[in-house]
Amino acid sequence: MHELLAPAGDLERLKIALLYGADAVYVGGRDFSLRANAKNFSLEELDIATKFAHELKKKVYVTVNIVFHDDNLNNLDEYLNKLKEIGVDAVIVSDIVGVKKALSHNLEVILSTQASTLNYEAIKFWQNMGVNRVVLGREATREDIKKIKDITNISLECFIHGAMCTSISGKCVLSNYCTNRDSNRGGCAQICRWVFKKDNSPDFTFMSKDLNMVDYLEEMINLGINSFKVEGRMRSIYYIATVIMCYRKLIDGIINKTLTEKDKIYYAHILDRVANRDTCPQFFHKFPGVQESYFSDRVEVSNQDFLGIVLEYDAYNKLATIEQRNYFKVGDVVEFIGPNMETFTYKVTKIYNELNEEIKVARHPKMIVKLPNLDGVEKYAMMRIKVFDKESVL
Amino acid sequence: MKNKDIIITINNLSDISKLKELGINRFAFPLKGFCVGIPNTFLLEEIKENGYLYINRILDNEGIDNLRNVLDNLLNNIIGIIFDDLGIINLVKDKNIEKILYLSHFNTNSKSIKYYLEYVDNVIISTDITLDEIKYIIDNVNKPLCLFTYGYVGVMYSRRLLIDNYCKFYNKEYENPIKIHNDGNGFIVYENEYGTYFYHDKLFVGNVLLELPCKYYFFNSVFLNIEDIKNILEGNTKYLDISTGFLYKPTIYKLKGDENA
Repeated sequence: MHELLAPAGDLERLKIALLYGADAVYVGGRDFSLRANAKNFSLEELDIATKFAHELKKKVYVTVNIVFHDDNLNNLDEYLNKLKEIGVDAVIVSDIVGVKKALSHNLEVILSTQASTLNYEAIKFWQNMGVNRVVLGREATREDIKKIKDITNISLECFIHGAMCTSISGKCVLSNYCTNRDSNRGGCAQICRWVFKKDNSPDFTFMSKDLNMVDYLEEMINLGINSFKVEGRMRSIYYIATVIMCYRKLIDGIINKTLTEKDKIYYAHILDRVANRDTCPQFFHKFPGVQESYFSDRVEVSNQDFLGIVLEYDAYNKLATIEQRNYFKVGDVVEFIGPNMETFTYKVTKIYNELNEEIKVARHPKMIVKLPNLDGVEKYAMMRIKVFDKESVL
Repeated sequence: MKNKDIIITINNLSDISKLKELGINRFAFPLKGFCVGIPNTFLLEEIKENGYLYINRILDNEGIDNLRNVLDNLLNNIIGIIFDDLGIINLVKDKNIEKILYLSHFNTNSKSIKYYLEYVDNVIISTDITLDEIKYIIDNVNKPLCLFTYGYVGVMYSRRLLIDNYCKFYNKEYENPIKIHNDGNGFIVYENEYGTYFYHDKLFVGNVLLELPCKYYFFNSVFLNIEDIKNILEGNTKYLDISTGFLYKPTIYKLKGDENA
């Protein structure tokens, strides 16, 4: 099994991730999760999410990965019991109390990357306790991964895409000191992306570029990694759809031995386009240095390629109802991507508003419009700026 | 508490006799090849005094194999080991030495500490919690514990060589450690081949912790000289930039509105 594991900050993202090709999603509940700023899931939403995933024969993992203070333990048993009743497929935990309690509730436990696990003896420690899967530290090299797999044969989950902590995960409390927010209880304020002064010297920064493992995905598969994890529970649905769809195609192509070098280059281009920072492979193949870091102020660029999402599709009349996400107009050449369809190009010839009046421009965020003469789109398909032809980038 | 209950990290072997004069006789020796954030580390054969090995690296497979070899050659003067990486538990479980777990930012609640005490003899309670939380832990664990009481507190540990990268990028002469700051928040940064370690630049002085019933009180002496150590133990800290960390300042778990965010 080569599981593609996607982040989901809310129910909409979860559905998109699963429909666009993820085998499983990881989500945070309203309590005990490390992304306190994400919308996260109520227990009712977790129930809906789990049913949705299971109908697709896919999985839901719930993060319970804060480092607990005694005050935070009061409702933990009750919460884990609810997760068991809901039928989530595993919980992702970093603190030993969370591990022990989850196991006592007969929940599958995935050891979080926050536990900073990089050697086979540490894996054995957790394995002997009953942990069946470990998310390795992002600092693990190919040699580390191979040896850990060879010796322990534990199920391994490794990150393949998304933001990197500069710190070894779980070993940073910069937020605690700079903002009084507890980074190990969901309050990370990304201090590693701040600019620091150094007397009589250029500013000191220590932010990492993002992770992108396209070039080493086949090797990771051959190492026996079980789950390929994408970071970003707070990312947009367009980002999730695009990244998950690309990695779905890449993994399937590698497994089926149909992936060409041209395909790989094409998907790498798409991933570069949707990224808001530079990406690179980081620790897997070599020790990261100057090229894997940023040395200036924040460098994020916003991506406005995402034009709209298909809410409904009337196949008989070839009419798609779309919720606008970025400005587009008559005459634009766009692309449609979707979970079960080939990506295709479309020229916008007419736009109708909700009253079926013809308009020239879709300018308002989330306005509902209709596009005619569309063949073969589907609900949850996405419309984006046509950035490049596949052939043109090869 | 008397100074005999302090475990202090050693910067220079020549300090030991002076520390003994202060009544301290529990020494933690940073082990060369297995530490980050510490300028002076020692080979096993350099350690002649009775003491603890101090290991704060997160180890990769090579590191754990190398450490296994070192531990196979322990002499009787090594009475214990203080460590962060949980893989070390398996390496030392059959060794007749005192095992002290110092998970830098974990061990923040009584139940986790109880669980870890099934595997080790003692744990150092996190510096990320309040005095009341520490008291609660001590009351509820009901076993000997260790408190970080003095010294610079480690706040971030990266596997990357952040100073080296910075100097290379700006074509600057290499310097290590360095001091950085942003809007009143300052840090001391030190790197070696195993990574980069940030310390809060305010020296943690937890005199109040000495009143709590613990087996040991941990003194991290990195960047301090013997005079500083003496002054800290005697309460002469006016010339130092000191802090009580989070003892009286709880960190925020959830911002207002997070419940419905």
